[in-house]
Amino acid sequence: MTQVKPPESAPELASYPEPTMHDIDAAAQTPLAVVDDDAPPLKVKRFRWSDVLGPLAVFAIFIAGWYALAYSIKNNFSPTTGRPLLVPAPHQIFWGVNDVRPKIIEATLLTAKTAALGLAIAIIIGMGLAILMSQARWVERALWPYLIALQAIPILALVPLLINFFGNNFRSRVIVTVLIALFPIVSNTLFGLLAADRNQHDLFTLNGASRTTRLTKLQLPGAMPAVFTGFRISAGLSVIGAVVGDFFFAKGSPGLGKLINDYFLNNQASRMFVCAILSALLGITFFVFFGWLGNRIVGKWYEASRPGQ
Amino acid sequence: MSGTLSFEGVSMTFADGTQALSAVSFDVSPGEFVTVVGPSGCGKSTLLRNASGLTEPSRGKVKVDRKSIGYVFQDATLLPWRTVEANVGLLAELQGFSRSDRAAKVRAAIDLVGLTGHEQKYPKQLSGGMKMRASLARSLVMKPKVWLFDEPFGALDEITRERLNDELLSLFNHEGFAALFITHSIYEAVFLSTRVLVMSARPGRIVGDFKVPFAFPRPHDLRFEPEFADLCGQVSAALRGAHA
Repeated sequence: MTQVKPPESAPELASYPEPTMHDIDAAAQTPLAVVDDDAPPLKVKRFRWSDVLGPLAVFAIFIAGWYALAYSIKNNFSPTTGRPLLVPAPHQIFWGVNDVRPKIIEATLLTAKTAALGLAIAIIIGMGLAILMSQARWVERALWPYLIALQAIPILALVPLLINFFGNNFRSRVIVTVLIALFPIVSNTLFGLLAADRNQHDLFTLNGASRTTRLTKLQLPGAMPAVFTGFRISAGLSVIGAVVGDFFFAKGSPGLGKLINDYFLNNQASRMFVCAILSALLGITFFVFFGWLGNRIVGKWYEASRPGQ
Repeated sequence: MSGTLSFEGVSMTFADGTQALSAVSFDVSPGEFVTVVGPSGCGKSTLLRNASGLTEPSRGKVKVDRKSIGYVFQDATLLPWRTVEANVGLLAELQGFSRSDRAAKVRAAIDLVGLTGHEQKYPKQLSGGMKMRASLARSLVMKPKVWLFDEPFGALDEITRERLNDELLSLFNHEGFAALFITHSIYEAVFLSTRVLVMSARPGRIVGDFKVPFAFPRPHDLRFEPEFADLCGQVSAALRGAHA
């Protein structure tokens, strides 16, 4: 509705003379104001008592709970020797373990190998699948149901099949590990690949980026924090996979799963617990390794935040 | 007269039936700095997306050499895993310039926007203003003939924004590109432009067209001159009319 008239004549501003080429050049050439507006301060790591006392307190509660459990179970200790039958108290954990030490060490190494190999294969297959799924919606929609099924299917049901194809041995154990560790890698990688910002995609489009360039320079690097979250979840799962696989496919030298089963059947609670604790330590080692690696790779640029810090 | 960038009767209707633009026509020639102001949601960004070729208009034509376009987004869109230096070199890298070809261009662009000394920092270590400078430098590397700006300084505080306005103008004087700038700040529009277009609420139409006569280089204090205030008043009146 408004009729807008441009100003009739250009107001002459006496105070601003026509610029000369020199002025223009000088204006552009002078390094523009030295910037340091409000750059975020560098975070300084400070010692906090809570960082030490918190974990210590939780550990104390854990040990106390363990004692309470061991002594509250009826007939937990052999009436003659005092040997723990079901749950050893924390100080009894090494009861009779010394005799079988080489066997347990060997089993631990084997389980570590199974888990590491299975995890490596799961990472390769899982990231490959996620990349494939990120490229077209129909691929994503087509593959999801099978991945979820794979995650939900009881390994027990696959045992005959695996024995038939791969044998009752190490190979089948690795495959069980892959099956169990695969899903978090696919789902986290895919989530990361699809999380790139629309404007960043536009930027790549405007500059003629190919599918591959987009993947390698935008989507994959941006996905790394999520990818490592997946790796860390799968790190723990891979140990579970190796132990379960070991339990089902018992031919060849035993891993921790086979030993846990044997000691369980013989009421050798301390030995069984040592094996279980070693499995947990393996899982923690893998987890910490991927945490460290992830931090090396994305720590420089990724910003995790907590309220009030 | 047709310029480096021409809109010829451009209309845009989205798939859901929303009409974003209605018969928009104007030209931007080299050395011209055209700013579009309008209420939010009036289709200003759609205008830029059409100009850049990210979307095609439903009717009408946009004429521009798509190879020489620079696009500065509302947020800096830096890649957080790249240092300032690597971010500034990104577009040249995508367009296939070799590492050695890029180095000098990147160096020059970083110097020109005043980020010298911050080359190895990651975006998380930069302030909003510095991020935007890096974003400008990234575009600058490609020496665009037509530079599109989608409210680039909208999220910055007033002081940083004024400073970046001053610096953008000195870049404009130096490089002589054609600029199409979107903003909802009248003062920013008048300060930067040779021409201000006022857009109506959706569907966006051009309802006001002002020549901005102030000579370049424009000193910081131009903002406090009565002639400047007067022109801002006129643009504001047009904008209110457009909103009604």
